[in-house]
Amino acid sequence: MNVEGTRPYLPESAARRSRIFQRASELFALWGYQNVELPTLEPYDPNHPLAERAFKLVDAGGQVLALRSEYTTALARLLMREPPPRFPARYQYAGNLFLRQGSGEPLRLREFAQVGVELIGVSSPSADAELIELAFELCQKLGIAKPQIEIGLPSLVRDILSATGLEAEIVESLRRAIDRKNTPELAETLAGLAIEPGQAEIIMALPDLYGSPAVLADLPQTQLSSRARSDLEWLRQVLAALPSNIEPLIDLGMARRYTYYTGITFRAYTPELGLPLLGGGRYDQGPEGSGGLLPQAAGFALGVERVMEALSEVPEAGPKRVACADLELARVLRARGYAVELVAGPEELADYARARGISLIGSGGKVSEL
Amino acid sequence: MKTDYQIMVALPKGRILEDAHQVLQKAGLNLPELLGERVLLHGQEEVGVVLLRGSDVPTYVDLGIADLGVAGKDVLLEAGRDLYEPVDLGFGACRISLIRRPEQTGPWRTVASKYPRFTRNWMKKRGLAADVIALHGNVELAALTGLADAVVDIVQTGTTLRQAGLVEVEVIAHSSARLVVNRSALKLKRELIRPLIQQLRSLGEI
Repeated sequence: MNVEGTRPYLPESAARRSRIFQRASELFALWGYQNVELPTLEPYDPNHPLAERAFKLVDAGGQVLALRSEYTTALARLLMREPPPRFPARYQYAGNLFLRQGSGEPLRLREFAQVGVELIGVSSPSADAELIELAFELCQKLGIAKPQIEIGLPSLVRDILSATGLEAEIVESLRRAIDRKNTPELAETLAGLAIEPGQAEIIMALPDLYGSPAVLADLPQTQLSSRARSDLEWLRQVLAALPSNIEPLIDLGMARRYTYYTGITFRAYTPELGLPLLGGGRYDQGPEGSGGLLPQAAGFALGVERVMEALSEVPEAGPKRVACADLELARVLRARGYAVELVAGPEELADYARARGISLIGSGGKVSEL
Repeated sequence: MKTDYQIMVALPKGRILEDAHQVLQKAGLNLPELLGERVLLHGQEEVGVVLLRGSDVPTYVDLGIADLGVAGKDVLLEAGRDLYEPVDLGFGACRISLIRRPEQTGPWRTVASKYPRFTRNWMKKRGLAADVIALHGNVELAALTGLADAVVDIVQTGTTLRQAGLVEVEVIAHSSARLVVNRSALKLKRELIRPLIQQLRSLGEI
């Protein structure tokens, strides 16, 4: 019996899955990202962004451990202890992650796989653009015909809200209303507050500032703080550095909670799926180690199960298959790069091959078409 | 099931169905007609409609089977799903309240509700502790029969409560029908959904 929120993979789906891992890894390597492997067991840390949702266990010595729930934090903490020999450093990873609270609904899994990259030790619009271009190319390589990249700037929302000087609880309820594009509740909350009309106007505008990069021009500029202005300038430079085929969308109202992102964030959507395929962003630490995870870092991760759900077929690239009843011939064929399945006797060859969609059969020292 | 509709709409059966259908139609969405109890309606203009139990609307929209839908704020508070809620449609107004028998004034140890998740969150925020009993209908009976010391339920006019001899002790939240939109549909189908939102907002202002 399966545990809820986990999935077994039998040969057909396991093969599709391993093709996703393989293609991602090859593409990342072409961009200079080197492999890292991290332990599945981590010390439990109540300050981990997913602390409440992680599986916890107690070892023989009474130490509380957690199953890895996220790669970025794990890698960032490792690099804090053991900094890379030189910057920038490019890392790629792939593997399974675990969450206690999967609901068993499609794609809300408790064990799921991600592939991803982190670009460490450089903080610039062109570094962000590199990651977005790589994310777009990855989707295409995996067979997503029309990936749609969307870029958000949660730091802008944060800077605009903190400039109001309102208390944290109210800022949080404004943030939540902006993130849900809940304009009616946003208006209701703002109506009872003593803030400048110009600031209220900007806050009310945020939820609807989504669509093509042209929406950047619709943000009321007059009341923006200098931090907010430099956030926007950064975003403009990222957009300018992207190749023209990506055609990203912008959402200035994106403002999720409990994330370490301090700069731009981005996602990729496809019409086949109601959830984003991948997500990432910049998580530079502030001046006093506030927010973020590392002094200069950004990355993204792609959900392997989400890609499998969005695609009925990942383009095949395996070796040719032969059903073979001749041991000697099988050795020769394997040496030449064929995938050879042994069959007990020549009389069973045709049935065996047909049932498995194999088009070549080998017997008596010869290979022939079925 | 994958559909070829440009837009798939989830509507709740029951008291707000007709209003929801009407307002979306008025805002320019060419919905198929409501014909009795058919649950899947096929439109001529590539708009499909699924008729659901109210509490299932957020599920269909969150998981992307429906691009948008109409749901009461009470249902959204209970579901706790990550949806866009860009328009308050105004109809279906009610409040979610704490209800008790008049003679009960002390602390309560058990509370019955159709909104167990919402009730737990509210009590946690208030620093209250009580066992929550999840029910599916006629929740006021729980207070009358003594199944629970208190009830959290929706109140429209309060007439039913008064007739049953119960008291609305506190209004916890106000509810009305909301337009909800799937997170990726809003972006990928923005040519259709953005004008719909604008229309619905301007209808509300009249």
